[in-house]
Amino acid sequence: MELMNKLKILADAAKYDVSCSSSGSSRRNKKGGIGNAAVSGICHSWSDDGRCISLLKILFTNECIYNCTYCVNRAGNDIPRASFTPEEVARLTINFYRRNYIEGLFLSSAVRKSSDFTMELLLETVKKLRREYKFNGYIHLKAIPGADADLIEKAGRYADRMSVNIELPSRKSLNLLAPEKKYNDIISPMKTISTNINKDKKRLSSSKSVSKSRNNSGSEGNRVSENKNAQYLNKFVPAGQSTQLIIGASPEPDYHILKLSEGFYQKFNMKRVYYSAYIPVNEASRLPVLKRPPLLREHRLYQADWLLRFYNFSADELLDKKNPNFDINLDPKANWAVNNLGSFPVEINSVSYQQLLRVPGIGVKSARRIIASRQKGTINFEHLKKFGTVLKRAKYFITCDGKYFGGVPLKEELLRNRLAVGDSSQKKQLSLFADYSNVDNNFMDTANNIADKK
Amino acid sequence: MIYYLYDGSFSGMLTAIYDAFYADDKPDKIIKEKDYQENLFAEKVNIETDKEKSDKVYQAIADKISSKSLRKVYYTYLSEKEDRGTVIYKYLKIGFKVGREIDKYYNNDSVLKLKKLSRKVSGEIHRMLGLLRFKKTAGDIYYASCEPDYNILSLLAPHFARRLADQNWIIHDISRKQAAVFNQKEWVITFFDDDNQIKITAEEKNYQKLWKGFFDSIAIKNRKNLKLQRQLMPERYWKHLIEKD
Repeated sequence: MELMNKLKILADAAKYDVSCSSSGSSRRNKKGGIGNAAVSGICHSWSDDGRCISLLKILFTNECIYNCTYCVNRAGNDIPRASFTPEEVARLTINFYRRNYIEGLFLSSAVRKSSDFTMELLLETVKKLRREYKFNGYIHLKAIPGADADLIEKAGRYADRMSVNIELPSRKSLNLLAPEKKYNDIISPMKTISTNINKDKKRLSSSKSVSKSRNNSGSEGNRVSENKNAQYLNKFVPAGQSTQLIIGASPEPDYHILKLSEGFYQKFNMKRVYYSAYIPVNEASRLPVLKRPPLLREHRLYQADWLLRFYNFSADELLDKKNPNFDINLDPKANWAVNNLGSFPVEINSVSYQQLLRVPGIGVKSARRIIASRQKGTINFEHLKKFGTVLKRAKYFITCDGKYFGGVPLKEELLRNRLAVGDSSQKKQLSLFADYSNVDNNFMDTANNIADKK
Repeated sequence: MIYYLYDGSFSGMLTAIYDAFYADDKPDKIIKEKDYQENLFAEKVNIETDKEKSDKVYQAIADKISSKSLRKVYYTYLSEKEDRGTVIYKYLKIGFKVGREIDKYYNNDSVLKLKKLSRKVSGEIHRMLGLLRFKKTAGDIYYASCEPDYNILSLLAPHFARRLADQNWIIHDISRKQAAVFNQKEWVITFFDDDNQIKITAEEKNYQKLWKGFFDSIAIKNRKNLKLQRQLMPERYWKHLIEKD
């Protein structure tokens, strides 16, 4: 088959994977090699759905032995099938990279013949790229559920990020919609990856401290170079692990999903959990009938996910068994705030950083600016605008120099209405993927590094 | 109104700032000679670029404020905005008083103005690191054209020198008629106005097709959102994008 056809089929088949992040790795170029990774990640284009394109996102093959109900590539579907060779993937990656189309490769795959068979092909591909083609750009590699731990461990030495998609938020739903995929087949590669990341961190920190102390004591020779080898052995998945699950194909409420994500962050030290609004690609009685993908629900979950990772919220603070779903009209932080009016209003000039983060309309950046600026004088209401604070939401929850600017009493119903109205005008403009597909908060750093090195 | 007029170079601007600090009658505006428009009430002072003076200011920013501030000052200069010299001068007046603490003055307008300008420039640098497209030419040279809002070639080049270290490449800023040229060892910025020699190969055409094919296939049709696409990738950059051309 012509390469163009393969590429079209296998990019089309990979498009439902949300992750396109190319951040978190600082892999450097080596002499005679090509490429490096930018810690902040770089977007190279934006497709017609407004999602960032950072990586050449493809499946190795869409020939699948499984028949998962929700999946476009299921064995029972009558669609064109194709498979790359490792050489084809390597050459495409390199040639796209040389033209600056991409930041690297995102390689996923359907399961052809068996999990191990497929995983071996993926391993061969990334090994070829790193060794033969001396490629030092970013690689995100999928671990195939059920594949041998040894293969995953080997592949992780060549990848910057690895991921296994949990697909559905519970064992029950997985059994129903993907009966051939076993929950444990998904969880165990996750464990393998997370264990190896942890081992690697220990190895690196201990080899560093050992070689330091040896250098100090003045001893040289073989033992030092041994440590050097340990230090220069390829890092295991330096940009960490992520996963993805489908929202709205199964009945679990937001609370359940958020608890699951929290578990991933805490137990597996995951970098990201991605949420993908279910888009009907197959018809089946076991699947819900949806007119439109639940994009707004997906958006609320991402917002809540942010609260877990950057705002020190816990899932149990945001939702509970009685209220297991987010108010679709209210962002999760505002929702939390109106449910906890006892904590408000807070005084901008004296409140702690942690509490500041909990004010709707104040983000990490504006909170930092407020704290810094406070040292240089009292902050008044006018100043807040300059700090990037969204006063439309924040004004109900703060006082500035003792004054309250909300204009209405702190009553739950009043605020709920006001915040929701303010929000509905935004609904249409929600940049659904923009904020999540590639974290560029740190892009200043890239630019700054550049200036540094110059 | 006192106008200090400099030649447009970074060094010239820093010289003007040096002179301003030591002058009895402080300037109201520091601008590039070419940006100056005759004005009845203006008192012009022509500044002669002086390497020694500008080096002193450069070093003083790094030592007395911070290297981060120096970077912001340089980025602001690259914005090519008419009032950049004045903005930088006002910022430095505060900076030399308060030192590295200047970053905390979020509610000072001069500080804020400079921060905004430098952020715009660094934003475009980051954007361009992704949006630049190289074409392989017959002479085995990879050629990329662009028309950035700001004068950022000198900050794009180091990135690609590290990344595409085993290629010969040219990054051409069409509107400023200059290019960064790299020979696998070092890069220089030079006058460049001739892209007639740029002849692309059949192999190149093939990869462009493949990239377009990928670009079309990767979009989810049910989630089409062209407005968002334009917002994140402004149309003025499309001319040089293979996938949007």
